[in-house]
Amino acid sequence: MTSPIDTSDTTTGPVLSMHGITKRFGAVEALVDVTFEVRPREVVGLIGDNAAGKSTLAKIIAGALQPTAGLIEIDGAGVTIGSPSAAHRLGIATVFQDLALCENLDVSANLFLGRELNATGFLHEGRMAQLTRSVLRDLRAQIPSIHTPLHQLSGGQRQAVAIARTLIGEPRLVVLDEPTASLSVAQTAEVLTLIERLRDLGLGVVFISHNLTDIGATCDRIEVLRHGRNNGSFAGSSVRQADLIAAITGAPGYGTAHS
Amino acid sequence: MSRWPAGSQSALREANTALIVDAVKQFGGLTQVELADATGLSAATVSTIVKELTQTGVVDTRPTARSGRRATMVTLARSTGIAAGIVVGHRGLQVLLGDFAHEVLAERTMPLPPDHPLDTVLDRIALLVVDMLEILGTDLTELAGLGVGLPAPVEASTGMISVRGIMRGWDGEHVGNVLAKRLGRPVHVENAANLGALAEATLGAARPYADSLYVRSSFTAGAGIMLGGRLHRGYAGTAGEIGHVQVDPLGQICRCGRRGCLDTVVGADALLASLQVSHGSLTLRDVIARAIDGDPGCARVVADAGRAVGLVVSGVCQTVNPQIVTVGGELSECGEVFLAPLRETLRDHTLPNQVAPMEVQPALLGTEAEVMGALVHALQSTDVRMQRER
Repeated sequence: MTSPIDTSDTTTGPVLSMHGITKRFGAVEALVDVTFEVRPREVVGLIGDNAAGKSTLAKIIAGALQPTAGLIEIDGAGVTIGSPSAAHRLGIATVFQDLALCENLDVSANLFLGRELNATGFLHEGRMAQLTRSVLRDLRAQIPSIHTPLHQLSGGQRQAVAIARTLIGEPRLVVLDEPTASLSVAQTAEVLTLIERLRDLGLGVVFISHNLTDIGATCDRIEVLRHGRNNGSFAGSSVRQADLIAAITGAPGYGTAHS
Repeated sequence: MSRWPAGSQSALREANTALIVDAVKQFGGLTQVELADATGLSAATVSTIVKELTQTGVVDTRPTARSGRRATMVTLARSTGIAAGIVVGHRGLQVLLGDFAHEVLAERTMPLPPDHPLDTVLDRIALLVVDMLEILGTDLTELAGLGVGLPAPVEASTGMISVRGIMRGWDGEHVGNVLAKRLGRPVHVENAANLGALAEATLGAARPYADSLYVRSSFTAGAGIMLGGRLHRGYAGTAGEIGHVQVDPLGQICRCGRRGCLDTVVGADALLASLQVSHGSLTLRDVIARAIDGDPGCARVVADAGRAVGLVVSGVCQTVNPQIVTVGGELSECGEVFLAPLRETLRDHTLPNQVAPMEVQPALLGTEAEVMGALVHALQSTDVRMQRER
C-alpha cells in the first residue's frame, strides 16, 4: 500500500480537481460554481452548515449524483463519474455515514463484500484473511480478530472496518462523510489516527464533519461551503476556530456576494 | 511467527507467551477467544498459557459475556491501583494508564488542532481517561491520580503556566484544579520536558546517573534537569527552558515576546517555513518521515536544528555538568540525522572531561518518555501522600 515518496508536494498535481460544479434539483441550487481540489497525501476538511452542499459534493465525487454543470478531473484528465462503480474504477472510495456494513458478517467478509476473491468458483478465504490482516496492519487499526462479527465491534472499530474496506481497491482518494459523528472520545481518537495513517499512505482524503476540533486536528486544508458556494479556504496548520465559524455562518467580512 | 527462530519446545512456549502478553498490552483487555485470533495461536494453547500467566501474576482473568455467551476477559494484572499519564502536545494528546509497577495497561493518542482551546482539550482528556478505564473494566475510584505534562513552564504548586503567551488560551487557568474538580482525583501538572527527564532517570537511559539532562525537540524545544537524583524545577518552573534562550539577536519575535529565541529557529513553524519554497506545505511528521527516507532538504533542516539545539544545550551542560544527555521529542525520531550534529556541536562546545566523558544518547523511552514521566510523576506524588497519611 505504500507509494513512492514524492519529492515535492507542490509539483504533484491534484488527484481530484473540480471546477464550476453546479447542481440543481429543480429550483433548489444545491451547489453553485464550486471549486474543489485534493492533492495526494493531503487531508481536506469539508465543512458547512446543514444543507450547505457538503453531502451533495461528496455524492458527486462518489458517482451517486451527476452535476448539472462543471468539470471534474482525476490526475489532470477530464472524467465523468457516471456511477459508484465508475468512481471505484477511478480509485475513489467513499464511506458514507451509515457505513453500509453487514452486521452478521465478520470483518474479513465485510471488507470483501461484493468483490470476493475467487478462482475456479471457490472463495479464496485464506488470501482474503491475509489481505484483511495486511490492510488492518497498514492502518494500525485496533481490531483484535478479523473473524469477529460486526455487531460485536464498537463504533470506532466499525468505522475502522469501513475505512479498511475502502483500501481493498487500492484507491487514490478516500471520502469520509461524518466519520466521527456519534462516537465516544476514545473511538474518535482511533478514527482521527486512522485518517492520519491514510494520509501517510499517500492518499488524498476528504473529511466531512461538523466537529471543528476533529477537523482542525487532522486537516491540511479546510474548505467551507455556504449555501452551495465556496465560502473560504483555510490552511489547517494556522486556522483559528473563530474564523471557521465566521465563514460557516457568513459573518460580516466572511461572506461571498451572491450573484 | 517467522520472526522467531526455530528451536526447542520451551523456546516456542516462551515466544507464544510473549505474543499473548503483547496482544493483551496492545488492546488493554481481550477475551480468550479474541486472544486466540489476535495471536494466531490455538484456543488450547491460549488457555494453557493464560492459566500459567494468571498463576505467576502477570495477567488477571474475570468472567464476561460476548454476544450472550460466557467468555473469559484477560487483562494485565495490576497491583494497588492505576494512575494516568497525560501529555498535551502542540498537535496531539497522549494518554496512558499504568499501575504502580510502571506497567502500561492502556494507551491512546489523539491528534489536536493548532492552538487548541483549553476547555476542549481538558474535556477530551477527562472523557478519554474514563473511556480507557472502562476498557480495563474499572472506574475512577481505582485511579490514584493523574500526571499532566504541558509544553510550557509550569509552576508546580498551583499547576499554572508561569510564562504568558507560550500556550495561547491556556494562561491564567488552574489546569490541575479544573481537571481535578471534573474527575474528583488528584492532578499533578508539570512541564513536559521535566517529565521526560524524570522518566529517563527513573526508567530510561539516565537511570545509572544522578545528574542528567533530557532535551526535547518537538514543535518547540525544552529541557529537563535532574540534579543529584532530583528534578530541578527552579523557583517558578522555568529551569531548562532552552527554547527561550536567545540564539539570533536579529531573529524573529518569539511567542514569549522576545527576539530570536531558539524556538524561532528550531520550532516546527521555523522548520516548515524554511521548506516552504522547495517542498511546499508540509507537516512536522512529513519532514521527519522524509528526513528518515533521505530527502536531502528535510535532512538538512533537521541536522541544522540539531546543531542549533546542541549549541544551547552545551551552555546548560557547561553549567550543570550532567553525566548524560538524553534526547527525546519528535525530531529525535530522525535518529542520527538529528542526533549526530547535536552530539558533535555539544562536544565542540563543552570542556572535555577526562574523568567521565559526557554521554549523548537517544531517550530510551523514545517519544513516550514524557507521557511515561507523567505516569511516574503521578505515582510518585501518590506515594508521598500515602506515606504522609501513615
